[in-house]
Amino acid sequence: MNDDQTLPADNPWKRRFLILFVVTVLIPTLVALWLLRRFGEDVPVDYDSPVEHFKYGSTGGEHEMGFPYWIWRALPEVCPQYLPGKGYQSLGMIFEKNPDGSDKDVPIGTSRRRYQGIDRVFVNCAVCHTSTVRTAPDQLPQIVLGMPAATFNMKGFEKFFFRCAADPKFSKEYLLPEIERQGGRLDLLDRLLVYPVAIAIMRDRVLALAGRFDWVFKQHEWGPGRVDTFNSAKVIFNFPMSHLDPKEFDAPADFPSLWRQRQRKEPHEMQLHWDGNNTTVEERNKSAAFGTGTTPPTIDIARIRRVEDWIMDVTPPAFSRFFPVDQALAARGAPLYKEYCAACHGASGSDFSGEYVGQVTPLAAIGTDRRRLDSYTYTLAVNQATLYAGYPWRFTHFRKTHGYANMPLDGLWLRAPYLHNGSVPSLRDLLEPATRRPAVFYRGNDVYDPLRVGFVSDQPQAGGRQFFRLDTALPGNSNAGHEGKAYGTELSAADKNALVEFLKTF
Amino acid sequence: MISCACKPWVKGLVFFAVVVGILGAMIGYDRGFREHSQPAWTSATPEMRFKYGSIGAEHDAGVPYWIFYVLPRIFPDKLLQDGKVAPGGYAALGVPWEQGQELPVGFTKKTIGFPRVANNCAVCHTTSYRVSAETNPVLVVGGPAHTTNVEAFFRYLIDCAKDPRFNADILMAEINRVTELDPIDKLLYRFFIIPITRQRLLEREAQFAWIYRPDFPDWGRGRDDAMNLTKYFMIRAPMDDTFGPTDMPSVWNLKKYDWARGHRMNYAGDSNDAYSVIMDSALGLLGAAPANKEDFLGQVKWLHTYLTQLPAPPYPFPIDRARADAGKPLFAAHCARCHASELTGRPLPLAEIGTDRGRLDSWNKGAAIKANQVVREMGLDRRGLVEEDLQGYVAAFLDGIWLKAPYLHNGSVPTLRDLLEPVANRPRVFWRGYDVYDQKKGGFVNDTPEAKRVGTRLDTGSRGGGNQGHEFGTGLSALEKEALVEYLKTL
Repeated sequence: MNDDQTLPADNPWKRRFLILFVVTVLIPTLVALWLLRRFGEDVPVDYDSPVEHFKYGSTGGEHEMGFPYWIWRALPEVCPQYLPGKGYQSLGMIFEKNPDGSDKDVPIGTSRRRYQGIDRVFVNCAVCHTSTVRTAPDQLPQIVLGMPAATFNMKGFEKFFFRCAADPKFSKEYLLPEIERQGGRLDLLDRLLVYPVAIAIMRDRVLALAGRFDWVFKQHEWGPGRVDTFNSAKVIFNFPMSHLDPKEFDAPADFPSLWRQRQRKEPHEMQLHWDGNNTTVEERNKSAAFGTGTTPPTIDIARIRRVEDWIMDVTPPAFSRFFPVDQALAARGAPLYKEYCAACHGASGSDFSGEYVGQVTPLAAIGTDRRRLDSYTYTLAVNQATLYAGYPWRFTHFRKTHGYANMPLDGLWLRAPYLHNGSVPSLRDLLEPATRRPAVFYRGNDVYDPLRVGFVSDQPQAGGRQFFRLDTALPGNSNAGHEGKAYGTELSAADKNALVEFLKTF
Repeated sequence: MISCACKPWVKGLVFFAVVVGILGAMIGYDRGFREHSQPAWTSATPEMRFKYGSIGAEHDAGVPYWIFYVLPRIFPDKLLQDGKVAPGGYAALGVPWEQGQELPVGFTKKTIGFPRVANNCAVCHTTSYRVSAETNPVLVVGGPAHTTNVEAFFRYLIDCAKDPRFNADILMAEINRVTELDPIDKLLYRFFIIPITRQRLLEREAQFAWIYRPDFPDWGRGRDDAMNLTKYFMIRAPMDDTFGPTDMPSVWNLKKYDWARGHRMNYAGDSNDAYSVIMDSALGLLGAAPANKEDFLGQVKWLHTYLTQLPAPPYPFPIDRARADAGKPLFAAHCARCHASELTGRPLPLAEIGTDRGRLDSWNKGAAIKANQVVREMGLDRRGLVEEDLQGYVAAFLDGIWLKAPYLHNGSVPTLRDLLEPVANRPRVFWRGYDVYDQKKGGFVNDTPEAKRVGTRLDTGSRGGGNQGHEFGTGLSALEKEALVEYLKTL
């Protein structure tokens, strides 16, 4: 070896080496870092306030199911023929106002997350658990968080995306100009690569999902405020739906409220869901989160936890904040409630003690429509025990039951229509025997009827909005049951009025 | 290190290669072969161990857990019963499955490098009944799994493997939707576990050729062609033309069998004693010689002890005592000669009973000799299979008879009451594997719309399914028959 021989400063090899270094190492590294920054992010919107988080926070569902933000924005304009009216509002979704009076860009119940280089939107818990109340047709709607989404048309929502994705206009030629028009300033990479690819992927995903949800469109209409919960759950397992026993179908159920969860957990775990098929609040929550697009690897446990914490103790708004309550009449109703209702439904709207509260009453005793019960099968229950396999929170509490659970009645006035299938429009109607309950009524109006205690249900349309005609003669819609002497349907009219007045205090 | 005159960079390279090689081998061993014990809950009680404890079948017969997990989601249309798609994942095949459990009873999960699923005895020897359609099933360990469709399960795995969609792209996409494998496991699954599993399942197809024969009926729920399984898997005999479907047997209270008194096991008295049957059945589940002989013998001994002591379940519904008392002398007069005597537990000549001979013909002395030799060569000691020509079926012990429906060795008569009818009056067609109990007739409900939807159709005119023979007590009056059925509930 010749150690003395050093390279002269202007050695061409040094320059060549430097060029080589820049080309093979430096530039690729910079490009890789830029790509990582551009496509590697996984950042959802975040809000300090738990209320804002409930409305707009993420469950993690955008990872798997998220629609690219600008596509979400553009679709109602590109496929207006698949919506009942203008925009997502026509599906009963609620848009809050910006300070300048314009609508917010996304409705309550949707969240955003930047993932794989694209902003994505999908629904969260609030989409099914928030609604509006108007004290009169000319009053402004007041948003109530945690109440059943009585105006949200979930099937219409599903149908809109399935139909639009199958439409020839679901292409960059139609979507990109609409995005531009709405002020989406996509950069070159977005325009040329990211969005075209995203459009193609989204179409494939949505259409694949459409196949799995084919059964939904062979059922009788759910209308707003209802979903066929556990047939939807069967889709997680890709059960071949067309081969199911027909008696499992047509099982729509009202969205529930989600206030005061702690009292459903402590001191006794109640049987949750309409048929009481699970006794664990957290498991029930994760199960519901499948509906927001989460999967075991992509669920955002920490952010769902924030929602779980918030719904533990949040309480419903009092009826008296909206309408007056006749205290004397209510006082007359209190002992009637105690005699007829308290054992199954709790001492009051805030005290859930009662011998049978949170337990299942056998179907033969309660006599309400059996389809929701039959939609939940032993076969589904055991399959659900495989969900979250490999995680410490694998589902272990799903059980097939044979009746419906006795619910606590917090915020009862906001939970109309009544019974699990929302087949009775008001509390006053519920106190009549089934033959005297409305055989047909309309759902989806947010104007409240403080006398009968329920939403106005006798108008097919108002303010340009068409409401849903619920025919109690159709499968899954029966308004029978929860009747007879023990259920107060044989009380005098005066007693019934007093009882209803007392229930307004819940 | 061996010193050599080579250049330092060569040394460095060699050293690096050796380190990489050792690391690779360690990771390969850890992720591919290292055995972990099952979690403690699986053996918390003897019953849990029977239901969920591994008997070592995961080594050769195990299906990688995540493949097992996603198959019903990818291939739901291949879960078939009676040629129709059965919705509901593995549960649709009637496997006993407790609510809240990750796997059905008789399915064991064990990590050998990676989590694997295999079976133990409980899959065929745990049964269920329901008081009514409005109740949940009650599981009874040791009972004949009358709801389990074993053949459909065998076919399902093979049919999946035969489908071109059984590939790493499609399976990994589904697996990634349900769990987060780390990069090493992802690579292993993609390049080794999925292709090898597919290969292994396809290899089974040749041995399972006879379950695809169009001239043989389906086993349906609760039956298997046990001795042909033994022939084609244990002794690798070429396919012959026999078909001998039988009901899954109960395995409770095995202490009643006494070899010295001439008692023989299996429907045709093919095996000498319970220990041999347990060992041979376990070997069938393993699908190969035990990976760990000592452990295997421990498992067989434990099972033998457990099942020897396991009591038959008492009849859980009310019994009309007066009627049962009236049935007792009828039992003594018409049944006891074979079912409560020195003859009980011993094979009787077929001519005396006259039941379907398919099962008898599916086994023979030569096969017994061969099978005993195979087991001996594994270094396993047992009395083994009976190396004699078989005469007929064993006169059964009747403990827990209420839960052993359908009746006769081939399950061709749905209820006790039907068994007391002459052949002409027994149901010609009925549905097996629906678990609502019929207290009046002593057996399972078998011809309602619900039974037809859930169960599998048995045509007693089908091969191996004949309901003839055992025409004893069939001349009694209707009242006497009811009394006799009532008495049988007390056994």
